[in-house]
Amino acid sequence: MKKKKKIPHYGNVKPKSYRAIYEEKFYNVLFQLRFPLMTIIFFTTVGVLSLMIINNKTDGESVLNYLFHTIITFSTVGYTEGYTDNISLNRLFSTLFIMVAFPLAYLYGLVATVNAFLNSNIGEIYRYWRMYKHMEKLRGHYIIVRFNNITKETMRNLKRRGIKFVLIEPDRRREEEIKKFGVDFYVFDEPHKREVLLGVGIEHAKGLITAFEENTQDLAVIVTARLIRPDKDNFIIIATATNEGAGEKMKLLGANEVVVPSVTIGRRIASYVLHPPSPTISKFLEKIAYGERTDIDIIEMKVEENSTLVGKRLKEIHMRQETGATVVAIIREDGKMKIAPSGETEIKAGDALLILGHPKSLKRVEEFFERALEEKEEEKQLQEVKSDD
Amino acid sequence: MINWGKVWSDFFIVLALTSNVGFIFSHDPYQLVVAIGVNLIATVLKFGAKKILAAEMLATALVADLHLIPATFLYFTGTHVPLAIGLAIGAAVANIISIVLLVVEIIFEYKSEEEF
Repeated sequence: MKKKKKIPHYGNVKPKSYRAIYEEKFYNVLFQLRFPLMTIIFFTTVGVLSLMIINNKTDGESVLNYLFHTIITFSTVGYTEGYTDNISLNRLFSTLFIMVAFPLAYLYGLVATVNAFLNSNIGEIYRYWRMYKHMEKLRGHYIIVRFNNITKETMRNLKRRGIKFVLIEPDRRREEEIKKFGVDFYVFDEPHKREVLLGVGIEHAKGLITAFEENTQDLAVIVTARLIRPDKDNFIIIATATNEGAGEKMKLLGANEVVVPSVTIGRRIASYVLHPPSPTISKFLEKIAYGERTDIDIIEMKVEENSTLVGKRLKEIHMRQETGATVVAIIREDGKMKIAPSGETEIKAGDALLILGHPKSLKRVEEFFERALEEKEEEKQLQEVKSDD
Repeated sequence: MINWGKVWSDFFIVLALTSNVGFIFSHDPYQLVVAIGVNLIATVLKFGAKKILAAEMLATALVADLHLIPATFLYFTGTHVPLAIGLAIGAAVANIISIVLLVVEIIFEYKSEEEF
């Protein structure tokens, strides 16, 4: 009896393997070589055998000579004859052999072999194959849909941070442009198809960014992506919309954030009017907010209930000494914000700490928070062991 | 209908084995040249096949070639004729595996045709 396979919640769809597509293209090139190479081998064998029979010689030196003679005959090089006796019989054979072997082995065999390699773009096939081989190993990457000015800017910023991403572009004609821009991983396909999203590794991705010029296409991508990854916390979807109504719909259908370009630009202009930009401060904060600076960043860390940090004062946790990052604000569970908290401030469960520092320090902060959770676990286990005794 | 492309490749796969066995028993230089030519053609015909056991078939064919090419060198230089025969026997074993794989593939194809 056959075992029934579990069908995933998004339906019985297999990921599209882009690597296999290019592997097949390579096999197709090899396939074209079958008959040309066969002809060459066939005529070489026939030539050597015939010369061996005509001259009745089977020693190594003669056989090598006959092989040489056969190859220089059908390749039309013809340095010197590979035989010394029986000249007339050998020449008769050579004449007949050239008449058959020249068109078949040379004009068909060799020319078709060279042609297959020249016309098949082997280098290009290899380049794509290697790209997709690496793409399959990506974990925690982002999927970006559509190559346009908005996503170009996004990609430039992600690249600066060393964040990996895969670009999906439905229009194959933009291949040159994408190559020139320097995207590491890209596929040309319809992004609203499940097999395509699975093929670019949506199951291991961190998020998806879709920025079509048309709302309907964005919606199709959002719905498909959310169908495969329903968890909004573990998979973020960011989209663009042309108006606020469409943006709202996208949020309801599963997008975490929706940017309406006209609204964002309008607000930004208004903010310049209201707070005339100071050349240093506003640019500095802006650059942090937009992630343009690579040496400083800000993150929000939530304090879990079962963390050892709960109940301690800021100065007691020695986070700055250990990680190098600074707490600039605490957001309490009720939403109240404490900016520039003092060392005496107590950390409560459910707090969110805003932490500023070098990206490397912030990595350490994340580890610091994880450790605080683990320590609590260990304490619990120790207590359990003690109570058992 | 007979698939003539398949007749070609199957013909050369079987001929590779028979000509090889012929050489093993006759130790004849003509037979060796035929054997190596047929084996190379059998390899080339397996290029780019997209069947279930295509990789294994190509691998066995390459094994046979890599036995026969040194065997030819050794035989015609006349220094290690027994070794050349030994290598040819190795190539024959690879040819037999190749035929077994061919049969397995035919059975698989027959089964999958039934399913659909």
